[in-house]
Amino acid sequence: MKTFPFIYNEPREFLSFLQPKEWANFFLGELNPRFSVTATKAKVIEVKEETSDTKTFVLKPNWLWKGFVSGQHVPVTVEIAGRRVTRFYSLSSHPNDRYLQITVKRQKGGLVSNFLNQNIKKGDILELGEASGEFVLPKDLPKELLFLAGGSGITPIHSILKDLQTLNYNGKVTLLYFVRSFEDIIFKSSFDLMQKNVSWLTVHYVFSDTPKEGYASGFLTKEILEKYVPNLKSSSVYVCGPSPMQTKALSLLEGLPIKSELFLLPGQNVTKVKKEGTVDVFLTLSHKTIQVKGERSLLEELEEQGIYPQSGCRMGICHTCVCKKQTGSITDLSNGETSQLGEENIQICVSRAESNLELEL
Amino acid sequence: MRTISKKLNKEEIEAFGKEVDSLREEVMAKVGKEDADHIRFIYKTYRYTEVLGRGLIHFSFEPISFIAGTLLLSISKIINNMELGHNVLHGQYDWMNDPRFNSRTFEWDIVCNAHQWKFYHNYMHHTYTNVLNKDHDYGYNFTRLTEAQKWKPVHLTQPFTNMFLAMNFQWGIGAHGYRVEYLETPKKLRKKKTLKDYKALFFKKIELQLLKDYILFPALAGLNFPKVILGNMLANLIRNLWTYAVIFCGHFTENAESFTTDEIVGETKAQWYLRQLKGSSNLDGNNLFYTMTGHLSHQIEHHMFPDMPAKRYREVAPRLKEICAKYGQHYNTGSFVKQFASVWKRIIAYSFPDHIATKVMGKRKKYLEPTVVLNQPSFQVSLSTEEKAVTLT
Repeated sequence: MKTFPFIYNEPREFLSFLQPKEWANFFLGELNPRFSVTATKAKVIEVKEETSDTKTFVLKPNWLWKGFVSGQHVPVTVEIAGRRVTRFYSLSSHPNDRYLQITVKRQKGGLVSNFLNQNIKKGDILELGEASGEFVLPKDLPKELLFLAGGSGITPIHSILKDLQTLNYNGKVTLLYFVRSFEDIIFKSSFDLMQKNVSWLTVHYVFSDTPKEGYASGFLTKEILEKYVPNLKSSSVYVCGPSPMQTKALSLLEGLPIKSELFLLPGQNVTKVKKEGTVDVFLTLSHKTIQVKGERSLLEELEEQGIYPQSGCRMGICHTCVCKKQTGSITDLSNGETSQLGEENIQICVSRAESNLELEL
Repeated sequence: MRTISKKLNKEEIEAFGKEVDSLREEVMAKVGKEDADHIRFIYKTYRYTEVLGRGLIHFSFEPISFIAGTLLLSISKIINNMELGHNVLHGQYDWMNDPRFNSRTFEWDIVCNAHQWKFYHNYMHHTYTNVLNKDHDYGYNFTRLTEAQKWKPVHLTQPFTNMFLAMNFQWGIGAHGYRVEYLETPKKLRKKKTLKDYKALFFKKIELQLLKDYILFPALAGLNFPKVILGNMLANLIRNLWTYAVIFCGHFTENAESFTTDEIVGETKAQWYLRQLKGSSNLDGNNLFYTMTGHLSHQIEHHMFPDMPAKRYREVAPRLKEICAKYGQHYNTGSFVKQFASVWKRIIAYSFPDHIATKVMGKRKKYLEPTVVLNQPSFQVSLSTEEKAVTLT
């Protein structure tokens, strides 16, 4: 095939050039905003108020939804002021439930959590990704389980407990739930009901801000652990909550099988770095040179200067922002490692500039 | 260089630049949902016109629906190239974080490869606007448009070559792209990629486009295929003529100036703004006309703010015009007919040697008088007589 060498050699590329998926998505989307052949979109069919600052969104996904395992999280994309923004939320429902649900607590200064709580109503469409995460039960269930939850960290644990219920678990489970006040308890009625129906579950609420009679108060300490978890030594532990609590838990429970999930707000995973001067970043595709300080992630520093590369989760999970670094060195913020000088693919949301860079952007 | 603008001193230029900068900041702060909705509406229009257009061409049995279909397909291609493609590839909608409107992933319905276009247009043309020998868009390396370009007998043919270019504009744009990239690659680095490599990208895009318009879609029409081929050819031709007309009005009108490489050495941002202003020219019209030109009717605004969502140029234009008037700078605008006629006057004039060309183009007023005295504080300018009376009493 000398006449059409490219089509002959790369027929797939020709097909994708015709945009069959884009056409399908466009017309399906015109029929129903939930329909798509590439994106998992879900319709909000109910919004439940859990506490004054937490809401549960019940979602009906389209046919692309592949299901999940209790304890996993899912990327949720919403459009705020014309801009698509992605954050991860744990699924708080059970995989066997008819509909999915995510439970979102408003974070101070949190763009998406506040938007969801304020603006999302019944009938709206959210875009989801694929569920993922290792914060799940093992194949062989341990005899004794300890769950440490802090604030909105309860959401994946709620799903896991429901899962244990359907598996007819017959071991022993203790849930220590650290929460600001009685009014801030998420899923209170669900836990009450569960405790009534199963014999293996004990739930203890600990209030960190407003004490209440008959309940413990304070933060996670050795004393509280010893008081509520008599068989600590033989437990498998699941921790989900804010980062100080996790650090504390990891040091208190050293030597035990422990699984933890830490959700960081974008930008929180950045260890504070102060730098003198700037480094040059040359964007090879747009032929722009910009100066960045190298104090925060490249993505944030680029956006600050009005350059918006594609991005997603902003915590190094989704790989939407991957781009080729041609020269220069970066520090990977997720593990603190400094890279080589040569060519490699980097995730700009978790990379900080160390030297002058050349990026294929 | 001839100019019909007031010659500004250094401070005045910097002050001008500052006002333009603050205008940009103010408008960019407003960019949001409205702009996202606009580009989605454009996207929708492009999809529907293409489906309807192709549908009508395929299933027509009399000339009326064939003509309607061909026109719709032309409109679709124009929207795809201008308001959607051109603006998206400038990165105007990158902030939306939507792959459909992202300059990294977008590819358009034209034989020019988007990636190559971004190099020679976004980078070379927009950085070195109207700088001879650096801006390859200036005359596209074959049209002589100023005395600074040496006359050769071959230029006598440029009215005809330009007519030919107008009809095949997408081929011109595409073929121009890979050469510029090769020419601008430093000689040392040329070993990495030969001209053939750059050409391959262009040829690939040609192949994709030809197969789509002249083999795939005609084949789908069965025995009706000659009609589909004709429809696609006409649609491409109409799109070519339209884009040629709009784009040539952008920089080659009578009063649009050109520059030399010496003039831009050590240029500041403010001086760059000024050069964009002097080298570009606008077209007056209504909103539909603006959209169909991809807002290149606002070439001046586009050149000052290439990454601003294009619809915003409508609100920027009157204010920029005010700033220009204040600094005595000529703001080149006019009706489509007037501007396009002046482009052709220039093309024809400079096809002849200088002594004829200058006679045709005429001598121009050297400087304009500024309408507002510069040293006056700006608030006095905006006060109306009534307001003045109030503040005085």
